[in-house]
Amino acid sequence: MSVTAPDQALAVAWEIRIDDAPVALSARGDLVAVAGAEGAVRVLDAAMGAEMGALDLPGGALDVELAPDARHLAVTGPLGYALWRRDDGCTTVRESGAWSAAAAWADGSKVAVASGRRALVLDADGAELWRTEPAASTVTDLAWMRQGRRLAVAAYGAVCCHERHTEKPVVTYPYIGSHLALAVAPTGRWICSGNQDASIHIWRTRDASELTMSGYPEKVSRLAFDESGFWLAADGAPDVTVWDFSGKGPVGTAPRSLRCHETITALAWRPGAAGHLASGGDDGTVALWHATAGRPESRLRPARELDGDGSAVAALAWAGPHLLVTAHRDGRVRAYGVPSRNAL
Amino acid sequence: MTDTASAPEATEAGEAAEAVDGRVPVTVLTGFLGSGKTTLLNRILTEEHGMRIAVIENEFGEVGIDDALVLDAEEEIFEMNNGCICCTVRGDLIRILGALMRRREKFDRILIETTGLADPAPVAQTFFMDDEIASQLRLDAIVTLVDAAHVVQHLDEEKPEGVENEAVEQIAFADRVVLNKTDLVDEATIAEVEARVRVINTPVQILRTQHANVALHQVLDVGAFDLDRVLKDDPAFLTETEHQHDTTVTSVGIELDGELDEDRLNAWLGHLLRTKGVDIFRSKGILAIAGAPKQYVFQGVHMLLDGEFGRDWREGEQLRNRLVFIGRNLDREALERGFADCLATAGAAA
Repeated sequence: MSVTAPDQALAVAWEIRIDDAPVALSARGDLVAVAGAEGAVRVLDAAMGAEMGALDLPGGALDVELAPDARHLAVTGPLGYALWRRDDGCTTVRESGAWSAAAAWADGSKVAVASGRRALVLDADGAELWRTEPAASTVTDLAWMRQGRRLAVAAYGAVCCHERHTEKPVVTYPYIGSHLALAVAPTGRWICSGNQDASIHIWRTRDASELTMSGYPEKVSRLAFDESGFWLAADGAPDVTVWDFSGKGPVGTAPRSLRCHETITALAWRPGAAGHLASGGDDGTVALWHATAGRPESRLRPARELDGDGSAVAALAWAGPHLLVTAHRDGRVRAYGVPSRNAL
Repeated sequence: MTDTASAPEATEAGEAAEAVDGRVPVTVLTGFLGSGKTTLLNRILTEEHGMRIAVIENEFGEVGIDDALVLDAEEEIFEMNNGCICCTVRGDLIRILGALMRRREKFDRILIETTGLADPAPVAQTFFMDDEIASQLRLDAIVTLVDAAHVVQHLDEEKPEGVENEAVEQIAFADRVVLNKTDLVDEATIAEVEARVRVINTPVQILRTQHANVALHQVLDVGAFDLDRVLKDDPAFLTETEHQHDTTVTSVGIELDGELDEDRLNAWLGHLLRTKGVDIFRSKGILAIAGAPKQYVFQGVHMLLDGEFGRDWREGEQLRNRLVFIGRNLDREALERGFADCLATAGAAA
């Protein structure tokens, strides 16, 4: 008996293959972007998978982010970053030689990119607006707060928050250790970092009070808040853990555990649908979850499993509530239609 | 019936597959400026050996090979937030190796070049402390190049209190010492240099060479951190060296027949590494545990230890424990006494 598969399989809306090993996906508006380890970037029409644009980042890619208005794209990599403009396909490549781990759009007009130990804030065409002072190590992740006025920067030893008027941080949240992933609740109430020392460190922004969730068997390198800001999903174990950040937050609570993968390689909350989460594993499996069902400490089973033909999931993204895009290491990028808003 | 003929082959293949470690081997190449490191690196990248090698280099722009996958790393040493003071890792390597593994079909092995001033411990510890790296990569060996004409001068350099002599550390951590530029010195000097190296690191294999012209298989396929091969290729394992210099970094080798009480061994080794781990750079050993039919093999870097049961003790084979510590201010007598107390037969006397 199958506990997971509903009667009908999800329909594959489209599938393409890129000549590179995908590392990152982004979906905004009517576009989907995929970036490969060697630096190939393809911009696709979300509905059909047709190619809308292409660029290459020399030295490889690490992250790709479409702007919220889907008119611009930023791609970052080990040797620099590049920006792409939809209107005319114009591409600006900056081969700085600096490790650029992440990009984050504040809105359609402003993007932050990690560049070595600094974060640079650029306009949509790549002109620098301001920059942060160097962090203690290469910057690992970025997130905007306060409607794009404040930038949180994760590196070794601290998460630092910066604003335009000064190179120095306006607030520093110190914690010894290497912060690999950064997630800021959309409510602005919580800053969370996933750490090399197998923990999640949490600051409540109101009073900078701290909390550490330790006991993970492995480093925590993926964190994702859902759009309500009440739920945080994390890797760091074979189980995806889902923490409840509503009310007073997760102090003294236990997470829900989602058991499907040996090694988690991707996490993505479904927009516009409470509690629906997609996760991917290195065995190629994509699992869909009612991730907030049950009680704290519940061990949940997937609502649905999608077979990835054995090629590791590299990234997942939702192009709206009804289309789940999966990218696999073998170069396949596939979109599944998820018709029901309430079911998976 | 011909179909069944393939059955035994399949079994053999299965066994072989079990023995093969699918992880990508990583060589750490270290040495001071002028030791010939760049010459060796360029040789490794240009010679026809059929291997595709990705290089992570600390000194940018040294290697100028077209089409080679070369990445630049700036040393970023991270403390682990686990209360272990010597648990440092190289954040830059975790980051770069992680990104490289997404392109793993592009290369067969990885070479990490570090400067002569880099501390080898965080480099080695990175392979213990990061699960993602440990599952996909294996540290093959730390290879230290030394310039026969100048190394003694580096070893004798007086350092301020509390500052490490990097040349000493790099030799202490090495699995292979490539003694380069032997054509520039006489035999007596070579002998002196080798003796100095042996005082620090008794079991290390020393390769004499000129123009960094060492056989690549001797530095690229060492398996020094491979538990199956621990101590196997170390003929000089227990060679006593004359203590002719006042060095604080030395090797202590212990060889003792008999079976060990597992609980007492764990307590002793645990306590030793907790209290002296900062000073113990490397340790390795093959042990006979009472009641276990297999050899217990371990190797460690500072406080981190990796051990498992290896091959069976053979019929009639002497149950001989062999271990070696390389470190600073090692107390040979205390180590020997502590280890002897772990013998199963020592319990009655205590």
